[in-house]
Amino acid sequence: MLTQAIDLLLEGFETAFFPCSLVLLIPGLATAITARQESSAALTGYGAAVLVVGWLRFSARIDDTPTVIVAMAFAAAALLLIVPLIRRLNIVSATGGAIAGLAAASLWEPCVGAAFGSLLVDLPGGGPGSFVMMSLYLAGIVAPLAVLGAVLHVIPNPTLLPIRPVMMFAGGAVFFIMAIATATGFVDSVIGQLVQWSI
Amino acid sequence: MNRGQLIAILIGVFAFAGLALTAIAGGDDEPTTVAAAPASSGDDAAQDSGGGDTADDGAAQADDTDADNGTSDEDVAALPAPENLGPAGTLTDLDGWLQTDATQFEDFDGQVRIVQFWTFGCINCKNTLDQIGFLYDTYGPDGLEVIGVHTPEFDFEKDPDAIAEAAVNLNVTWPIALDTRKTNFRSWQEGRRFWPRTYVVDANGDIRFDHIGEFGGSSYDELEATIAYLTANGGA
Repeated sequence: MLTQAIDLLLEGFETAFFPCSLVLLIPGLATAITARQESSAALTGYGAAVLVVGWLRFSARIDDTPTVIVAMAFAAAALLLIVPLIRRLNIVSATGGAIAGLAAASLWEPCVGAAFGSLLVDLPGGGPGSFVMMSLYLAGIVAPLAVLGAVLHVIPNPTLLPIRPVMMFAGGAVFFIMAIATATGFVDSVIGQLVQWSI
Repeated sequence: MNRGQLIAILIGVFAFAGLALTAIAGGDDEPTTVAAAPASSGDDAAQDSGGGDTADDGAAQADDTDADNGTSDEDVAALPAPENLGPAGTLTDLDGWLQTDATQFEDFDGQVRIVQFWTFGCINCKNTLDQIGFLYDTYGPDGLEVIGVHTPEFDFEKDPDAIAEAAVNLNVTWPIALDTRKTNFRSWQEGRRFWPRTYVVDANGDIRFDHIGEFGGSSYDELEATIAYLTANGGA
């Protein structure tokens, strides 16, 4: 059990750097930078939503979410995270992050290593234990985002102040691009282009 | 920021750094291929023998074990039959085939087939190819066919020339079906879709093995045992 847990955590962390995880990491990155100093709350909401939706999907407890709804979720997440009037409320940031996580997890078609593969085989009939194991795998994947969130917390508020609008609009733009790409069926093309640029 | 938050952040950063170092250190020992195929179905031969091995190494080792273990076709045929998981689908709406004269899935009817959904940009898929190649070389003469259903995740994986080039670079010598629109990736896997996904389809068209992801634990042994059983029993 412990060995499986460690394997899942490490495999998740390794997978974070594979192109097939970009569909999770890009919205996560956008969540962090859009939420700025509320990024902890936003990323907590994001991670929780990815875990719940991923577990429900991969254990065959829910069907696919229609792409129109996914696209709308990305747009809604952007609005919740960037609307200036409510930007200081952690609960709103967490909700925005959760909606972004819901959308991202709905698009996620993972590349699977040995440890996660073993878990997925048992997932349809699995109980709470399988949920915990999957949370370890996801913890590995979102570890880079957690570090980013921590860094955003460490940077003093006055330092971030001049670039706040840039961060806000950059993150919001990512969400709206994801929304449009999802609605038009080009989300794989957009992420694929990023992958090509990165290599 | 108060002291508690700072401590929490520092713990997180150190935990992340430790995790990263562990992953990097572990990566050196991570086997990239499986060399030691099971000597025969049901044997507990170690799958992993360290990085850097090639399919050729695996084949050579398997030749030795075949010669040494004394397992006969009769022994394999006497093993329990792999579970029948129901009828397999077919492959429709393809964008063509590579490395075969076949034009449809039905051209392989009556054969034991490994059907693997993969894409050349997926590292986990690539990590299975030497194992699949070894099985293809070993059991091909006994009637095994392998069909790699190439299902691209990203646009740059859709170009048939790029797929053909990748096939050469990755030593993929078996037929490749081009599932560019993911039609079969979705219909075979329904709501639970992953790369790679490996099935064994028997001569009657039924699924006898289904595995998600890379082969770990006993899954490769089970795959080879399934193929050994089916090829030794007339395909079903």
